[in-house]
Amino acid sequence: MEYIVETKNATKNFGKEKAVVGLDLQIPKGEIYGFLGPNGSGKTTTIRMLLGLMKPTFGSVRIFGKDIKKEKIEILKRVGSLVENPSYYPHLTAYENLETSRKILGVPKKRIHEVLAIVRLSDAANKKVKGFSLGMKQRLGIAAALLHQPDLLILDEPTNGLDPSGIIEIRELIKRLPKETGMTILLSSHLLAEIDQMATTVGILRKGELIFQDSIETMRMYAKQTISLNVSSSEKAWRSLLAKGIKAEFEKGTILLSERSNEKVAQAVSSLVQDGFSVYRVQEEKKSLEDIFLQMTKEEQAV
Amino acid sequence: MMGRLMQAEFIKIKRKGFWFLAFLGALGVVAMQMVNYGVRKDYLFTQSEDRWGYYLMNIHSFTPLAIVLGIVILTSFLSSVENETNAWKQIIALPVSKRMVYLAKFTVLAIVLFISSFLMGIFTLLYGLYLGLGEAIPSADLMQYSFYPYFASLAVLAFQLWVATVSQNQAIPITIGVVGVIFAYSASVLPDWMIWKWPSLMNEWNDPMINVWWGLGAGALLYLAGMLDFTRRDVK
Amino acid sequence: MLALMQTEWFKLRKSKISFIILAGPFIAFLGGLTVDFTEADAPGVEWYLILLATNLAYALLFLPLISGVLASTICRYEHQEGGWKQLLALPVTRGKVFLSKYLLLMAIVLVIQLLYLAALYSVGLIKGVTEPFPLTIIWKSVLGGWVATLPLVALQLWLSILFKSYAAPLTVNVVFTLPAVLAINSERFGPYYPWAQPFSMMYISGDPNDLFFVPWEQLLTVVGGSFVIFYLMGWVYFQRKAI
Repeated sequence: MEYIVETKNATKNFGKEKAVVGLDLQIPKGEIYGFLGPNGSGKTTTIRMLLGLMKPTFGSVRIFGKDIKKEKIEILKRVGSLVENPSYYPHLTAYENLETSRKILGVPKKRIHEVLAIVRLSDAANKKVKGFSLGMKQRLGIAAALLHQPDLLILDEPTNGLDPSGIIEIRELIKRLPKETGMTILLSSHLLAEIDQMATTVGILRKGELIFQDSIETMRMYAKQTISLNVSSSEKAWRSLLAKGIKAEFEKGTILLSERSNEKVAQAVSSLVQDGFSVYRVQEEKKSLEDIFLQMTKEEQAV
Repeated sequence: MMGRLMQAEFIKIKRKGFWFLAFLGALGVVAMQMVNYGVRKDYLFTQSEDRWGYYLMNIHSFTPLAIVLGIVILTSFLSSVENETNAWKQIIALPVSKRMVYLAKFTVLAIVLFISSFLMGIFTLLYGLYLGLGEAIPSADLMQYSFYPYFASLAVLAFQLWVATVSQNQAIPITIGVVGVIFAYSASVLPDWMIWKWPSLMNEWNDPMINVWWGLGAGALLYLAGMLDFTRRDVK
Repeated sequence: MLALMQTEWFKLRKSKISFIILAGPFIAFLGGLTVDFTEADAPGVEWYLILLATNLAYALLFLPLISGVLASTICRYEHQEGGWKQLLALPVTRGKVFLSKYLLLMAIVLVIQLLYLAALYSVGLIKGVTEPFPLTIIWKSVLGGWVATLPLVALQLWLSILFKSYAAPLTVNVVFTLPAVLAINSERFGPYYPWAQPFSMMYISGDPNDLFFVPWEQLLTVVGGSFVIFYLMGWVYFQRKAI
């Protein structure tokens, strides 16, 4: 398997504080890799190491099969990035900001207009970035990252602080890019829903350690939602469901259905109604990131 | 209100090296003479009968430069504390008038500079005593050389604070400040009306007190102008 | 490398740079106007009087201080909104970024020196000096002053990368520059003090056969030596700086 990004035992300490511990990232080509973890778990530190902005305390970082220590420039020529808050020069216009990178990257001028169009900032090209909204700055950051048509795009919390329409816009853009250009995207977020909607592969970081790395489908098994039923005389109702062969659990006065398909839910509800129980509420219960962590660590210990 | 605002200002300048600068400036001026007298004490002693007077004059040759440079650095520090963190909008959003905010900044700077002048006076006295310049300590002259330049430079302080608070780009007040330093250094060829000449205590009547009154008067006017301009502007 | 320098200039030219550049000739011009030729005791010295009148404040204080302001300005926008992050994630080495900023700074100091020359010349025209302009000597002074700022700019660039604010590098600059006022009076220490070199190299004196107004040994050891030290220290710091 060809990995675009591969780290081996990458570790970063700030003095005594361990920011990232023994990280083994593996990002296959053409994937949208969702890098999930709560704030402060080491995502940004990892990304800084991938970009050569920081050197790992030990361990290795390889991108496109090349060592970042030895061939940083060759690697960076093929990487576009947006790290944390968008970086920009407030005293320059959007166009001029892109021009500062374009000169170094040596791509034709018309590329500036192209990327501005991709992120829908063409109308604001000649306005100073100082006055931009956060969403516009974020989009400008993505435009800068796309200038040289990189093979790997690294986006750190790209929807942070955006309004819902901005989030949707960026999300569509990110999903579109690998299909149109074949690029690989590394995307970090502290929101499970966000990764769930965009990523194809997922890595989960917790307190500096990678506790999960697999396809999105595997992660969804952990993140599986359940249907909860609030009914009258709940314990009795639960037994009646079990008696009819419908799989369910009973927890703190609510019934949890393990099967979530429409059919199965309808079947359970109608059976309860027939048996004379009153159904008050049917709810989908989403698991929080913390729940998934708990579950993952629990299962790890069990193994 | 004013008291609380000033407390807030003093908290903000914590660990920014303000007090260190006040100390460094005062010590620096005297240290310059420590080197001077350390290297060629015997020669300098032959230059004048009035050794104390000559020593104070030597000290005073650096005081105007140090004060003007100190003002440039401190005003720039103070406004960079706000500009870097985008904190202007936060203070201005508090239920205080912008005039008060400006007054608090000015007062804090005036206090820091005053303490620095006071320290310089003490260091001057101590090193003078160490050098053994004579029994009779000219305390009136010592006071004059320690505090007159301070009052005479209040106009420069008011002007620099004005420029620094209204500039987004600190390069402008600093460049103006550097030009002011050159003026202060060239005081002897400057016309009397230029504020950068005043800390040198020179004027055509040879009366240092005049510079003190000018410093206070023009300082008040420039302070008012700066404050009104600051209140008038939108906060970015 | 050229592209990198173009980018630096592109970012810098929108930073009120002309205001900083013009401050030098402005001071030289005003200083020159104060010259009183009645003191001239020999014919043909008018140009030298103009040069000497402006030189002291300009070379001793202004040039070292303004080179620091320039260095802070070329780093200001990088510190502001993550500029370093954006710049260094591009395919450039840190060494080249450092060098291109340094070269651009030195180019601007050269422009300031040339404008200083122009200011002197225009003072002479206004004052109606009829003597021929002593070009070789003044060239020596202007270029010498420029060479003397090589180490000072390197140090200030380092400090400006280290500190976000203008005030901190300026403080260090002042702490080193003010003693030059004393150092130039000392034959023992003056020649070894890097911050006194702009004045020494712009002041008309010394062996007329030397390329500049200071002996070669002094130029190489004091200016050259401090340049190597400051440049390397800044370069090493920048290599290791965590962005």
